[in-house]
Amino acid sequence: MTTTLSPATPLLAVRDLSVAVDAPEGLRTLLDSVSIEIGRGEVLGLVGESGSGKSLLCRTLVGLMPSTAIRRTAGSILLGGQEIAGANETALQAIRGARIGMIFQNPTSHLDPVMRIGDQIVEGIRFHQGLSREAAKSLALDIMGQVGFTDPPRQFSSYAHEFSGGMRQRAMIAVALACNPEILIADEPTTALDVTIQAQILHLLLDLRTRRGLSLILVTHDLGVVAQTCDRIAVMRHGRIVETGAKRQILKDPQADYTRTLIASHPSMPAKLDAGLAVAHSGEARQGAGRPLIEIDDLAVRFPAGGGLFSKRRNFSAVEGVSLQIWPGETVGIVGESGSGKSTLARAMLGLTPASSGHVSFDGASLGLQRAEALRALRTQAAMVFQDPYNSLNPRMTIGETLAEVLSVQKKIPAAQIQERVGELLDLVELDRNFAYRKPRTMSGGQCQRAGIARALAIDPRVIVADECTAALDVTIQAQIVALFRKLVATMDLTLVFIAHDLPVIRSLCRRVIVMHHGRIVEEGLSEDVFAHPREAYTAGLIDAIPDIDPDRPLSGRSTP
Amino acid sequence: MLHRYRFILTRPLQFLPVILGVSIITFVLVRLIPGDPARVLLGTKVTPEAIANIRAQFGLDQPIWQQYFYFVKNLLQGEMGRSITFRIDVLQLISTRIEPTLALVFSSVLLSVLIAVPLAAVAARNEGHAVDHAVRIISTFGIGFPSFWLALMLILLFSVSIPLLPVSGYGNTLSEKLVHLVLPSLTIALSLSTVLMRSLRAAMIDWLTSDVATAARARGMPEGIVFWRHVVPNAVVPTINLLAVNIGWLIGGTVVVESVFALPGMGQLLVRAIFSRDYMVVQGVAMVFACATVFVNFLADIATVAADPRVKL
Repeated sequence: MTTTLSPATPLLAVRDLSVAVDAPEGLRTLLDSVSIEIGRGEVLGLVGESGSGKSLLCRTLVGLMPSTAIRRTAGSILLGGQEIAGANETALQAIRGARIGMIFQNPTSHLDPVMRIGDQIVEGIRFHQGLSREAAKSLALDIMGQVGFTDPPRQFSSYAHEFSGGMRQRAMIAVALACNPEILIADEPTTALDVTIQAQILHLLLDLRTRRGLSLILVTHDLGVVAQTCDRIAVMRHGRIVETGAKRQILKDPQADYTRTLIASHPSMPAKLDAGLAVAHSGEARQGAGRPLIEIDDLAVRFPAGGGLFSKRRNFSAVEGVSLQIWPGETVGIVGESGSGKSTLARAMLGLTPASSGHVSFDGASLGLQRAEALRALRTQAAMVFQDPYNSLNPRMTIGETLAEVLSVQKKIPAAQIQERVGELLDLVELDRNFAYRKPRTMSGGQCQRAGIARALAIDPRVIVADECTAALDVTIQAQIVALFRKLVATMDLTLVFIAHDLPVIRSLCRRVIVMHHGRIVEEGLSEDVFAHPREAYTAGLIDAIPDIDPDRPLSGRSTP
Repeated sequence: MLHRYRFILTRPLQFLPVILGVSIITFVLVRLIPGDPARVLLGTKVTPEAIANIRAQFGLDQPIWQQYFYFVKNLLQGEMGRSITFRIDVLQLISTRIEPTLALVFSSVLLSVLIAVPLAAVAARNEGHAVDHAVRIISTFGIGFPSFWLALMLILLFSVSIPLLPVSGYGNTLSEKLVHLVLPSLTIALSLSTVLMRSLRAAMIDWLTSDVATAARARGMPEGIVFWRHVVPNAVVPTINLLAVNIGWLIGGTVVVESVFALPGMGQLLVRAIFSRDYMVVQGVAMVFACATVFVNFLADIATVAADPRVKL
């Protein structure tokens, strides 16, 4: 921190800000008397679940309303002592970017896909700092270096789609820094990223704060992220600030009930661990003699990569030399960064992706040798739950139709009982029976994921493979879905293969954990052992990178990619 | 980045089967039309010997597969046979007729783009306002009116009521030709531009509300920069292929417009050749149209790769 204003003269002060939308039934309040302050070089964490108004608040600060029907009804926004609420468009354009910059959750959709990364950085420099083309370019290369691009002169000419998610977020930060802002609003900047990449991006943001005296507003639903990075926290819910104060004070001694719930539902909290292990042990009891349900022997899955008419075709190994046995009644977690081969392994397990070499057997039938038989067994006894709850449900079918379709195809129960069974399935996943008549687009992410789980249960499976099924959900919803899985595993005779990049979720749900890296299994064992005493440096790094809710534990992970 | 353009070398190989297919279909179809070129040429009062003579002269008395074999053989040698009615080489005939058609297609497309882009921009940037509605209503008329009617109305308005432009014909000098092309091109552009305009407007509205535009606004970019630098380059991508498909349709569609305006182009030639059952000319013109359509789509592929760095072909 280079300079710090005294709290009496904050850089940005929002007082009693209210925002409402013109709805057919009259004005509906979206933000209700919100007051926040941020000093120079300070990091403010804005926490709350989706729909709490965090993003709307940020956009209101720079006058970028998501719709013309939404407007500010009261309150003031003081930037450096100057009123900017209600300023005209020209004045706001001079503030946006140049004084208050923004980065967003999804860099892929916010970066211009048909413009070179370098040109997008140069655009801001030239517009706000009025430099010549050459000067702007050399400054852009400098900024690219600052945010961790390894080869700025070459990467200047690259397009967004040529980078990984983490690098795109760095590019987005570079584009924001090009305008040289005093305050940077980071709206869920790491939600879409792996833990290790998340740690790198958070490091970068903190580093920039220190070097440039930047103030940060970090919007997140993850209290762990806040605990590791922020000076102060503001907790939002239903458009109100329910609690605000210094980080330690809020985490150690939360006043509002909602803050307490939020802290309790953080996956790193130990209470969940015990419950998870209780389930795991009951699973262990069931597992005895007999053969493994899924047996994988020296599996490799390779995809053709690159090459073409004039160059030699190369293969990319998604999974290489993996051997694994999954016993009936087990809960197995597979963790690893994205690109580590988790999802490919899961798909190969279910016969959705052919093995390049090695064997996969389901219930004793080999997918390679007795393909028809094994597939028949798989399709009637194994089910998958997908990452994206919206897009994995047919938007034109009601949930009831989706479930009934599975039931009638599987023919495990007579047609007359299908409607009754649909109701039972909805009960199982704790959805109201009315949801049978609703379509995915009228439902929240958590409700859609419950429907997705109901669809998996509809085939009455022996094994469920859940692929990153909580990654797209809020932390509170995530906790509910994990609790649902825990209940299902405990009450039904179910084997669960749970794939996630989120280690705390695995730790709390699975008895056994498998760590994957570059397509290989680097470590496996009982969750409690692996998490307490990781043998491999890679596993230790993953565990280290989890943002812990304990503010005294430093944020780890490297700052450079 | 050059490897993205490697398909320019390999793609033409894929055109060969397409062209071959077109040649078979046109060859067979044109012979399925009732009537006999010799009979059309010689009229009704004629001896069977004379007809047989003409048929032998043009090889029409041979089995169809043999005729096709000679057709392909000649084609590979760069010949398309002789016209029965014009009594000259088909290739030579086409070469005298290709210029007006090319000029018409080019000027219509240029005019369409010049009309469509500003209208789409105005409509998209004022979505839901009076200007937007006006543009959309006008464009509905453009789609609704058939081109032969539109052509007649334009002639009535600009050649008869206000005698500014010639009624029909082509002319000899460049300026004469340009003047004669105004109304035919406008006829085509009035309907083609509406198709482009609708697609562009929809894409522009999508990109105006996209995250890319939001991010640009959040960097303080004024609306003009957001629109022309970020929205337009993204919005034209899907329109490139639409334009290519429409140019393909347009190449065949010049038939009507050339007939109405008496432009001595390929369309007009095609109509006359069909009526006189001049098989060689019909085949030849159809082959040229097919090649042109394939070539336009090839150009569109190159343009798409240039406009969108994510596209790989």
